[in-house]
Formats: sequence, C-alpha cells, structure tokens
Amino acid sequence: MVPILGRILILLALLAASAGALVGFATGMRPNAAGWKWARRLAYAFAAFMVLANLTMEYALLTHDFSVSYVAHVGSRRVPTWVSIVSLWSSLEGSILFWGLVMGVYIAVATSRNANRHPEYMPYAVGVWLACGAFFSFLLAGPAQPFATVPNPALDGPGPNPLLQNHYLMVIHPPFLYSGYVGMTIPFGLACAALLVGRLGNDFIRPLRNFLLLSWIFLTCAIVLGGWWAYEVLGWGGYWAWDPVENASFLPWLTATAALHSALLVERKGVLKGWTVVLVLATYLLTILGTFMTRSGVFNSVHSFTQSAIGPTILVFLAAALVFSLVLLALRVDTLGAEGRLETGPSRDVIFLVQNLLFVLFTFTVLLGTVFPLVVEAVRGVQMSVGRPYFDRMSVPVGVALLFVMGVGPALPWGRATAQQMRSALLPPLLSALLLAIAGLVLGVRNPWTLLALFFGGFTAQVTLSEMFLPVRQRMRSHGERFAEAFRQAQVRGRRRFGAYVVHAGAILAIVSIAVSSTMGSSKEVQLNKGESSTLGPYTLTFVQAEQVTDPHRESVQARVDISKNGRSLGALYPRMSQYENQREQIGSPAVRSSLTEDLYVSIHNIDSASVGLLVLINPMVSWIWIATAIMALGGLVALVPSLRGAAATAPGPVPATPIAIEGSP
Amino acid sequence: MATARPSRINGKVVIAGLAITLPLLGVLVANLGRDPHSVRSPLIGRPAPAFSLVPVGGGAPLSLENLRGKPVVINFWATWCVPCFEEHAALTAAARGLPDVQFLGIVYEDEEARTQDFLQQRPSPYPSLIDSEGKAAIAYGVFGVPETFFIDGNGRIVDKHVGPMTRSTIAALATKAKEGAR
Repeated sequence: MVPILGRILILLALLAASAGALVGFATGMRPNAAGWKWARRLAYAFAAFMVLANLTMEYALLTHDFSVSYVAHVGSRRVPTWVSIVSLWSSLEGSILFWGLVMGVYIAVATSRNANRHPEYMPYAVGVWLACGAFFSFLLAGPAQPFATVPNPALDGPGPNPLLQNHYLMVIHPPFLYSGYVGMTIPFGLACAALLVGRLGNDFIRPLRNFLLLSWIFLTCAIVLGGWWAYEVLGWGGYWAWDPVENASFLPWLTATAALHSALLVERKGVLKGWTVVLVLATYLLTILGTFMTRSGVFNSVHSFTQSAIGPTILVFLAAALVFSLVLLALRVDTLGAEGRLETGPSRDVIFLVQNLLFVLFTFTVLLGTVFPLVVEAVRGVQMSVGRPYFDRMSVPVGVALLFVMGVGPALPWGRATAQQMRSALLPPLLSALLLAIAGLVLGVRNPWTLLALFFGGFTAQVTLSEMFLPVRQRMRSHGERFAEAFRQAQVRGRRRFGAYVVHAGAILAIVSIAVSSTMGSSKEVQLNKGESSTLGPYTLTFVQAEQVTDPHRESVQARVDISKNGRSLGALYPRMSQYENQREQIGSPAVRSSLTEDLYVSIHNIDSASVGLLVLINPMVSWIWIATAIMALGGLVALVPSLRGAAATAPGPVPATPIAIEGSP
Repeated sequence: MATARPSRINGKVVIAGLAITLPLLGVLVANLGRDPHSVRSPLIGRPAPAFSLVPVGGGAPLSLENLRGKPVVINFWATWCVPCFEEHAALTAAARGLPDVQFLGIVYEDEEARTQDFLQQRPSPYPSLIDSEGKAAIAYGVFGVPETFFIDGNGRIVDKHVGPMTRSTIAALATKAKEGAR
C-alpha cells in the first residue's frame, strides 16, 4: 500500500513538474495572466507532492515497513528512532527523494516571493526550475526508485551505513549540503530567464543575488560541517583531503563566491552582466557534476554512495544542461549589454576583476586535479591519484592571493585612485600586517607561506574592521551620536555592507587558521602497553586499559588514555573501535580534546586488552576554523535578511508582503 | 525587450564552452561503469582455499576436497543481506537446472538459528555451511555479501561475482567452471 502511494506521489510530482515547465516556457514566450497563474499552481503542486512523498517515506521508515524497497535497504528495527528519521538521506534513493523535497520548497518559496514581480522573467524561471524538478522526479520514478515494492518483505533490515550512526554531524551535514546544492537551482533559473528575456536589470539581479547568497550560506556551512565530521570521525587527523567528493562541494562554492562578487558590480555599475550569468550557470552545472561524482561510482572516495545505475542518467542530464546553457549563452549573452564602464587603473573595480579571475583559476585547478586521474586511467589504463601535494601546492598561493585582494580591494575607492589615496589606504594596514607576522615569528612560525598568510591576514583584518565600522564612525563624527546609536543607524541603511565585511572577517580567520593548523601541527604514532606512557609536545599520554562498551546497535572497545599537560592532569580521552551490527568493518572513532589554541587528537590503530596503537596529533587553531565558518554564515545572514525585508517593502505595486523567514526555508 | 538586439551567435562563447565541456564530458563518459573499488580477486586462476564446514542444521562436515572432479559454485550469503535474499530464488532455480554442478552456500556472519528459519521458509536444493569463525570468508577474501565463487573440477577458482546474480549470469559462469576443467 505504502509503496504504491509513494509511487503515485512521485508520478504526480513528475507530471506537475513537466506540465509546469511547458506552461512556464510557453507563458514566457507569450506572456499572459492565465498562463502565469497555472505555472505557479503547478510549481506549488510539485512542491506539495514532493513534501507528501517525503512524509510517506518517513512514515514507512518509522513504521518499519519493509515492503518499501528503500526501507528494506536502510531500515532496521534495532536502531534508535532518530536514526530511522535521518535514514531518509542516508542512502542513494532516499537522498534523491530528500533532494526533491528541498527543491520543491525552494521552488515554492522563490515562486511565491516573486508572484507579483518581474512578470517578464518569472514564467521562464519557473519553467527552468520545473524542468530541473522534472528530471529529479524522473530519477525517482525510474532509475533511483525508493518506493519499489518488495514482494516478500523481510522481518528486519540491515540499518543505515554505520558512519551515519557514528556521529551527529553526519545527521546535519547532508541537509545543509542539499540546501546549498539544490538552492543553486533558483539562481540558475533566474539567470536563464535573464538570458531568455535578453535583459538583466538592476531589479532582477536582487532576487538572483539573494537566492545565491542563501544557498551560498548553506553550502559554506555544509563544506565545513563535512570537514568537521571527517575530523571527528575518520581518525586520520585532518579535516580536508581534496577527496573528489569534497571537491564536488567546493567547486560550486568557488564559482558562487565569484558570482556574488560580480553581481555587486552588475548592481553598482551595470557591468559584467554576461560574466555573472556565466558564473551562475557554471555554479549550477558544477552542482550537477558534483551529484554525478558522488553518485555514479566513477570516482574513488571515502564518502561517495555506492555504485549505482543512475550515473548515466545524471550524465545525460548534465550534458543536456550544458548544451542548453551553452546555446543560450551563445545566442543571448550579447543582449545583456553593459550600461557602465569598468575603471582600468588602480581601483576597487580592477581588484574585483582580479578576485573573480582568482576564483575561476581556483575552480579550474581543483576541477583539473579531480578529473585528471580519470583521464590517465582512460588513456593509459593505470590507476593513479593526484593527491594532496598537487592541490596544496596550487591552492596555497591562490588562497594567499585571495587574502591579499580581500584586503586591497575594500581599501581602494571605487573608480580610479590617486597616488595620495593609495598611500593613505594601503599604508596604515601594514601596521597590523607586520604585527601579526612578527607575532607568528615569535611563536615559532617558519613556513614562508604561513608567514605570508599571517602578514596579509593582518593587513586585511585591519582594512575589514575599519571598513566595517566606517559608516558608524562617520555618523559619530557628523551627527555627534554615541557608538550604540550610530551603530544602530548605520545598520538601517548599510546592513548588507556590514554583513559582507563580517563574512570577510570570518574568511580571514578561516584562511589564517587553515594555514596555521596545516603547517604548525605535530604528530606521532605510538604502541603502548598497559600502563605505559608517551609524550608529544607538552602532553603525556598513558594507556590505562581497554574497556568494552555495549550499545544496542554496536559493540565498542575503547582505550582509556589519561592525559596530562606539563604534569597537570587533564582527565582521560576515550578513542574507540566500534563493531556495528551487520557490518564487517570496524569503525574507529578518534577522541579530540579541543581548546581555542590547539586540539589534542587521539585515534586508535589497533587495540587488544594488553596494548594499543595510537595516532596522536596536536592540531593548532582548528577550533577557529569552525568559529570562522559560523562568523561567515552569520555575516551572510546579516547581509541577506534586510535585503529580503527591503525588497518586500520597496517593491512597486500592491505586493502582499510575504513574511518568509530565512529560518523557515530548508 | 527594448534593449534586445537581433540574436547573433557569440563565437567566443561557443569555442570556450566547447573547449571546456567536451573534454570533461568525454572523460566522464569514458569512465562510466568503472568501479574504482573493484579489485580483481587475486584468487582467480588459483586453487580454491580448502575448508571443511558443518551444514546448517548439523550433520557431517563437508569439505571442498571431497567434491574434486565436479564444478562447484560457492555462494557467500546471510539472512540480513537484502540482495542475497533477492538472489536466493535465482540460485535455487539454477541449482535445480544444473544437476552436474555442485552448489554450496556458506553463511557469512550470521546466527545459525536465523539461517535455519530462513531455509525452512525457503527450501534450498543444496546445503549451506556454517562458517562460525569466518575462516572460509577470510580465506576467500570476501568483502561483502553476496559474493559467489566458481570453481572447476580441478579445484581452481575460475571466476568470482560480487553482488546479486540473475539466473543467466549463474548459468554462464557455471558453464565457464565446467569448461575450465578441460
């Protein structure tokens, strides 16, 4: 019964999306009120069917209905209820279903927010969104069917991948990732609509930028949550390995970041319209490429889904989206003529361009490194891996250069800068730059790149903070207001600007922390018998005993390792090895003692009752990466929220101010 | 629409776009169907590891030695494995259709009682053996179930299949095992 209901809902979603896509395009070509109304209705219908299909699956998971094929694959009566709930996105078919849910919600929100605005563009945008929706519904109806009927259902299932059950971060990482990935569909549709209409006006860049920013916030969090999960769970001591699946999430982030910046130039100067559209299209195409990478089984990765039959289908969709984008661009990009002119001399304009080019260069570098092993294998038939050295060597200079332009750009004025302006803008921040670099030297930093990161980090931090509070200082001076009042007033008009600088502050902190944590750490592998100790830096680790821990769904052996720092006891850490029900491989869980200065990281290689093999690392400043990400996300929200409110308040005509809270969207 | 000029094809976009996307798509297409996790079993072409195991439900131990001269199909399975369950019907049908091939199941990481229940509900024409310490699975390098090994009359492993099989795959690989003895 449940499988049939699920299949019917998926088919209805497919129907609504396909019909809506056709109606959307037809209405775009021949605008009429009835067509637009039906396009909207079908968009809402698609969303509703996706929501219902997901609820049906949750019901099946919670009631352990093993006649549903997906439940038979990932469900189990023995796992806790929360695991049953999140099993929705623990495996391939369910994750596509969840993808459909996120997509439905995004499309419904984007449609309703713009129901009475941009009448020229919106039917096309809805058409493109629903065409993408139709593809994912098709995946769910056929190649990745979650609701197939199991004829003779078993009494119990194997339960989801133990990695999912091993850490709460794996529960929240996928929803963030999908909200970021799927969200890119909205700017894609809007950019396609701009091309189809042949115009990208100042009013229309706003919804495009807002949805891009919203998805960007989710994607930023998702990438770092993924890294954090890897750090807390995988046990090799790092948070980023340039694994194809990690790169898959990083690639669209790079182009989206570039697009957010070039959109600012579109808005401010009416230039780079075609370029911005290219970046938005590329971002979406890269999310589809990422989907292919994680789900086709072609790439070798620690966290991809297993081999599946949907690879070719996604590839066909990717090819179709590429062809569509290319044809559209080739035919229409010239219609998005520039209204203004870019300054060529030393100016913020030029730094914007440099920044954009750096991001695109970064994208190509990562893409090349990710795909290169496939080229080698196709041509020469040998398996190879590009590995970290390539990525590290390429990304470090680009990262430092980005840090540099992030400082120089905001320091320079719009338009051509005079020599005097340049001096007064660029000389004072050198003070912080030198201070931070010297502090690094004193604390033992010798790696030239890390020193450079500290130097530019200091420079950029000073510029960022001074720009962040510039309007406040101006108000305090000109209006004689106190700081709090001036700050509040400055927020009324300049919230977006303020938010952007908060994001920059987070980015500086992130880059510096990554530079320090990846070059200033130390590590050691030790084999300890019961009662033996070993030291690393100021820490002494003593293996006290091995302990057996039994949970309903797993058996674990944990090592009690007493920790002391400079002779002072810090308690014990319990890294462990777990054996999950029905899984052969043991899964190690490292134990991490985090502090603001450094993490002590202990993971188990091997363990028996008498001895333990440990990997011990000291990772400095890792906590700051997580904090920096929170700052970036917060800054993004600060920049986003007022523009949503502002858009609703200043929109022309009788617009029902739909109070759609950011928190409400997925 | 006011600013829209008559459309012309922008050649630069086409060339740049094709230069980037065609090689990328080409590489992805060329690699479709590749499984980076698949490692060809080093056992293929080698003598099958010996074992002597007790069938589910008890009885005299069965050893591979005693089956010499007859092609053997060894299927590693478990009651908790959904693909094994799906494959079960194909295997029993193939075993009935190929009387000159000896089929064997080896139960992988499972409880005997559960296996017995399973086999009572779904009778099988060939015995399944209990590998309580997992030694046979280790000797055969079993990575996950189902995995099936095809052994010729000389006790040599001819082929190995990972994942559930259809009746025709079983028949084709079993034929290979029959021919392998010649």
